[in-house]
Amino acid sequence: MTDSDNDKTSLKSFFWLWGILTIVGVVLGLYGPSHLMPKSMSPNMHLTILTMVIFTVAAAPVAAGVYAATIYVLRNWTHKGDEPPPPAKPVRENGIIVATWVSISVLLTLFLLIWGLGALAEDNASASSNPLIVNVIAQQWVWTFQYPGTHVESNSLYLPEGREVEFHVSSDDVTHGFWIVQMGVQVDANPGVITTIHTTPNVLGTFDVRCEQFCGLNHAFMDALGDVVTPQQFSTWLAAQPQRT
Amino acid sequence: MTTTLEHTAVAEESQGGGLARYQNAGTAVAGGVLFAFLFWLIARKTMDPTGEAFNDQVTTILGCGWIIGFWFGIGAFNGPMRWLLGRDHSRADDLYYAGHNQGRARYWKYTTDHKVVGVQYIIVTMGLLGVGGLLAMAIRTELIMPGNHFVNQQVYNAFISLHGMIMILALIVAIAGPWANFVMPIMIGARDMAFPRLNALSLWTLVSAASLLVAVAAVGGLTMGWVVLAPITDQNGVGMDLFALTIVVFAVSSTVGGVNVVCTILTMRTKGMTLERVPIFVWGAITTSALALYAFPFFFLVEVLQLLDRNVATSFFVSGGGGTGWLQANLFWLMGHPEVYVILTPAVAACFEIAAVMARKPVFSYRTAVAAMVGLSGLSILVWAHHMFTSGWAPTLGGPFMVTTEIISIPTGLFFLVLIGTLWRGHIWMKLPTIWMFGFIANFIIGGITGIYLSDIPIDNQLHGTMFVTAHFHYIFVGSVLFGAVAALAFWFPKVTGRFLDEFLGRISFWLVFIGVQVTFLAMFASGLKGMPRRVSSYSVIFDHTNLITTIGAYIIMSGMLVLLGAIIKSWGHGEPSGPNPWHANSLEWMVPTPPPLENFDVMPVITEDPYNFREEMVRS
Amino acid sequence: MSIDTQADDETADARIAEGNAAHDQERHHDGGEGHGGGGDGGGHHESPEVVDGRQRMAIWLFIGGDMVILAGLLFTYLYLRGTNTEGHWMNMVGYTGHPWSYYYNVLFVKGGSLPNPTTVSVNPVSAGFYWFVTLVTVVSAGIIWFGEKRLRASRDAKSFVPIASLATVVALVALVLTIVQLRQIPEIFVTQNDSAYMAYTSYSSAILVLEGSALIHMVVLAFLGLGLSIRASRGVISGDKWYQVRLVRLFWVWVAISSVIVAAVVTTVNTIH
Ligand SMILES: [Cu+2]
Ligand SMILES: [Cu+2]
Repeated sequence: MTDSDNDKTSLKSFFWLWGILTIVGVVLGLYGPSHLMPKSMSPNMHLTILTMVIFTVAAAPVAAGVYAATIYVLRNWTHKGDEPPPPAKPVRENGIIVATWVSISVLLTLFLLIWGLGALAEDNASASSNPLIVNVIAQQWVWTFQYPGTHVESNSLYLPEGREVEFHVSSDDVTHGFWIVQMGVQVDANPGVITTIHTTPNVLGTFDVRCEQFCGLNHAFMDALGDVVTPQQFSTWLAAQPQRT
Repeated sequence: MTTTLEHTAVAEESQGGGLARYQNAGTAVAGGVLFAFLFWLIARKTMDPTGEAFNDQVTTILGCGWIIGFWFGIGAFNGPMRWLLGRDHSRADDLYYAGHNQGRARYWKYTTDHKVVGVQYIIVTMGLLGVGGLLAMAIRTELIMPGNHFVNQQVYNAFISLHGMIMILALIVAIAGPWANFVMPIMIGARDMAFPRLNALSLWTLVSAASLLVAVAAVGGLTMGWVVLAPITDQNGVGMDLFALTIVVFAVSSTVGGVNVVCTILTMRTKGMTLERVPIFVWGAITTSALALYAFPFFFLVEVLQLLDRNVATSFFVSGGGGTGWLQANLFWLMGHPEVYVILTPAVAACFEIAAVMARKPVFSYRTAVAAMVGLSGLSILVWAHHMFTSGWAPTLGGPFMVTTEIISIPTGLFFLVLIGTLWRGHIWMKLPTIWMFGFIANFIIGGITGIYLSDIPIDNQLHGTMFVTAHFHYIFVGSVLFGAVAALAFWFPKVTGRFLDEFLGRISFWLVFIGVQVTFLAMFASGLKGMPRRVSSYSVIFDHTNLITTIGAYIIMSGMLVLLGAIIKSWGHGEPSGPNPWHANSLEWMVPTPPPLENFDVMPVITEDPYNFREEMVRS
Repeated sequence: MSIDTQADDETADARIAEGNAAHDQERHHDGGEGHGGGGDGGGHHESPEVVDGRQRMAIWLFIGGDMVILAGLLFTYLYLRGTNTEGHWMNMVGYTGHPWSYYYNVLFVKGGSLPNPTTVSVNPVSAGFYWFVTLVTVVSAGIIWFGEKRLRASRDAKSFVPIASLATVVALVALVLTIVQLRQIPEIFVTQNDSAYMAYTSYSSAILVLEGSALIHMVVLAFLGLGLSIRASRGVISGDKWYQVRLVRLFWVWVAISSVIVAAVVTTVNTIH
């Protein structure tokens, strides 16, 4: 390999490669998460999917840069055969490149942090002062939902659309993980403590509650059905439920 | 010098060794079985049979019997006893312990020669990876379609727990075990490790612990996942006690090993071998060992408390007496996250080393490489609670832990800068180690970036506990660490055996494993994004396609690993001879003959520059 | 890597090799100095000072690991006290007394039964006793330190034997006291599924593990002290080979310091209660 191969003009193909791979990454980011992830039924889930998209788009040039550089290296500077190639021109240090690389990664990390902390604040923000309280009780391997103020106890989770719900989660035995798949909220159910999360269902329809914390023999089957209904349907449903003694 | 050695040995061979002459792996197993039986008898007589914890107590005491008997049998207590009685080793004793003139038998003994210990670690790692891999195949076979088919849920749960634990142990020792022992002392110009007997101790305590894991399976298994967080562990049978004992002993092994590596690097370097001139792998070895010294005491502690809860009715992790599972979660992850970097750092450092030698170019920005490894290790002790974002513990700490976690992406990014900077405009010799090293780069970027998603709490609130997490850390552990480990094996194999690892089979293996990893874990990312929880034995039909693809990919990985195993077995005995310096490298491990003689050097070398000045004339030598 | 002593430089090679051989002989005659202690010297061309420096580093690293464990233990203690899950830091549902009452009532008195269990509290352990054990530990550390100083000044290994033995005996006293202390940890008698056993609240649990850790350290100290006595009397430790005494002393002093730390924490928390 001669030094003319190392001519700056030959870097053109590297930049082309980088550009193309970045576009591939951006397209994947724009379509992948929203296509694969469950449909959003709450602002939290909406935010989660949006953050997935933003992060993927932001990461695309980084990953594409590494792949492009690797492919470029493989195409231009490899030697085959049983004899070792001659020594290459040593480059022990390049302060400018290191500084640039560090600055860019600091900026990217700052972006991730600012976006992430903002999203976290929004995620935790309580939308209403009068949320619907639902007690969630986990035990091996069923979910039970209680609606305080009534005596209703159910194994499926009915929620009214458009009203904030606060879940008070606990467990009768071991640790379980309360997860509403389409609403992007999770919290562990622990014995002896009550943990809370809140979300506001904003789409009518059925959803899934799953256990996401390993809890023993039937962990795989510990799920419950949920339904977001209109507020009127919700009150009708509540009234029609058998009362717990 | 060599003749002197022979002379001394011949004169004193008959006197050296003492009790160690009669000790080997066979007596170790015999001692373990004998003591386990004795302890079992004693436990049955002394413990209260009506007590709640009777079975746990008997099992724990029996497990201790195995460990203590094994240590007696292998000779771990010889040193302390001789010290106590003031009968220190003579030169002949040291030679005997180093395995002088003992041929293959020395691989089955409490041998102090660091090269023997290195080879023993290769064997242990391969054994652990083999068992863990078989369990992985059983798991993927069960998950080939929805519903339970091949194994029942209880057995399945035992499989995932043991798969996790065995693979974690295997990867902790996969690179640091063989290479920080076999090549690192030669690299820095030392005749052996700082404490050769401690080196043998760390290896054989590891063996005594790993063999207990087999017993875990025999007594009904561990069905709670390898992280074994309370309070669910309360429901596990006596397998949990043996598991906790395994970890306690393993923590001792890694602490002893870590002290040894750190002392060796800091105090055993030959003249002129400054810390700026050591091969970069040495920096990887010292950071990983120092980090292990911080992390594994927590592992030790958490499992001791677990044993107390189960055996003497304390209340650390159970709520009835005022305990809390969150205490265990904190202690566990204080260990758990640094441990990830204990596993990763040696792989990164090995890849730096291989990149420089094979590209015939110095490591690009050596200082950056060192700073990145040290910085990453330092940061990793401040991020543990990111494993508890969705646990409900201290929600207000979520923000700070998210910040520390995301800062980790800065030193991680520097790894890529160093690797690409080293390869850039190099003259890259495409041999087996180089190819696996490129595989490391390709997979590590995916593993790294998917980690950033999980460090973001709003995303973690959806993806935590799903297959997305599993896919992420398998890209790190299989895609990156295993690739780094194979690259290191292919790179230093000629120094161990005097033969090349078979290039043809090695390349077939590479392509199978590389493609297999993409198929397996990209599909697993999709399963996770769709909402499939991890650690499940069955799943809803909406996940069927991606799981089928993952299982197919897993079989491709397995076939690749089998080809690799074939290559290792074939090449160890009949590979193409390599000579002492097959890669035409400059670091000291390539300057000594192959196999390196006992005590490595005839004349202690004096070092005047780092090993990355590749010169024309060296190529021809 | 460029090496000064290339193999083609035959004279230099031979010279160094010869030097090594001579050194070998010499080391052989002095009986393998530096091969005991916290480990063993790896190379065989090193002065006792070099070997000692290496072993001291190892001792410091082991102490570092021990510090992490102590930090974890104190974290455990303070965390459990801070959380006080369900108010059960110092009480739980059960009975005071001993399982004998269970056997008596349920097994021997036919048809007898225990009253329903109630929430019973435990008393805090005696802080004064804690400080007493700590004092004994500190005294043993002081003795070994004094012995080391004397040995280094007088180079008289024979007179070190009684000092090391005394330190060992004092450490054994601390060991016995720790066992007494362990036996005083308050337990609560509980019954479950037809079995009766003693259980510990999280307070007692935390104390138990702190004292258990102290006990194990005492066993190690007794072993080390006994070893020093035997070695000094056998002449393995001689006037100018006092390095191992310092290694042992470093660990011994750390154990004393950790004992003080634990006593201070336990006392403070006890008095707040
Ligand atoms: Cu579950
Ligand atoms: Cu982590």
